[in-house]
Amino acid sequence: MEQLINDLKVKIKEALNLEELAPQDFDADAPLFGEEGIGLDSIDVLELIVLLEREYGIRLSNPKEGKAIFKTVRTIAEYIKENEKK
Amino acid sequence: MNNWPGTTYGNEWMHKWLIRILRHTDVRILYAFVSVFVIPVCLMTCRSRGIAYRYFRRRIGMGRLKSAWMTYVNHCLFAQIVIDKFAMYAGKTFDVTVENYESFQHLASQEQGFVLLSSHIGNYEIAGYTLVSKRKRFNALVFAGEKASVMQNRSRLFRHTNINMIATSPDMSHLFEIDKALQDGEIVSIPADRINGSSKHIELDFLGAKAKFPLGPFAVATTRSLDVLAVNVMKTSLRSYRIYVAPLPYDKTSSRQEQIRQLSAAYIRELERLVATYPAQWFNYFEFWSEGEKQGKSE
Repeated sequence: MEQLINDLKVKIKEALNLEELAPQDFDADAPLFGEEGIGLDSIDVLELIVLLEREYGIRLSNPKEGKAIFKTVRTIAEYIKENEKK
Repeated sequence: MNNWPGTTYGNEWMHKWLIRILRHTDVRILYAFVSVFVIPVCLMTCRSRGIAYRYFRRRIGMGRLKSAWMTYVNHCLFAQIVIDKFAMYAGKTFDVTVENYESFQHLASQEQGFVLLSSHIGNYEIAGYTLVSKRKRFNALVFAGEKASVMQNRSRLFRHTNINMIATSPDMSHLFEIDKALQDGEIVSIPADRINGSSKHIELDFLGAKAKFPLGPFAVATTRSLDVLAVNVMKTSLRSYRIYVAPLPYDKTSSRQEQIRQLSAAYIRELERLVATYPAQWFNYFEFWSEGEKQGKSE
């Protein structure tokens, strides 16, 4: 899991051009959106959806789950793990 | 920042009564009543007077007297357009013609989803939703803060159609819904001239000055390199509208940033074309241009 989290941090940083943010500064449990935590803008979620599809072959099937899946880097990693098993 | 709180004027009780009146009254009677008794009062009390005047004076380049007259005409037209919207809820119909319909039909016949970008000029609601396809569901992004009566009327009108309303939401659920719809090969319609929700924006030259446009609509289309059409619906006479459909080309092989730049430039070109043809149908009543914020309100 930790390897996947680190991998995700690097890919998110690349996809969103977060040059000023070092992957080690990413707290895996910090909220990705909103003022607390990483502070991504809501529009950035589109890039994360595409990243999930492109890098891990996982398509978000239920839009209602989106907010919970993209809450933190750890929740994304957990979703990837769950869906890789299927 | 030119974001907009966005909701139809009036309370739900007023909306219900307006629909009841319109079931039995010719719209022209209401047009005349509003033009004589409501708009002059509105012009004396509302902030929109100065905003519209500055738009005609600075952006369209009209003289002082003509700008003042066009400010009145603009407000009368806005009232007519709101009346027409409620007349549609009351079951009345309008004559609608479409320019470049084949562009819409072509994309509607393809497997891939596509995006329609609308603007707050003319009256998108009255005819924009008529651009429907039997094969593809039409998803329209609407402001979640809109009055319940307007949303109920929309739902009732579109109950038997292939139209789905996606309301903007602070929890981003609308973005997941939009992406899902596009992945499923559906049509998604988004207004691209008002910043609402995400504060990310692009500053572009529009009618001779810098203005901020939301990044979201352009990001949605280019994330999956989808085809995009600009769709605007302009009032051409008392009972008729014309839908303008224009393909917005951009190089899908270029970088994301460049795709967004090209797409937004194409959108602006089409918006400028229509504003030049119908200058009185510009209904963004807030400081749209950055210069309005910087220079104050004189002239």
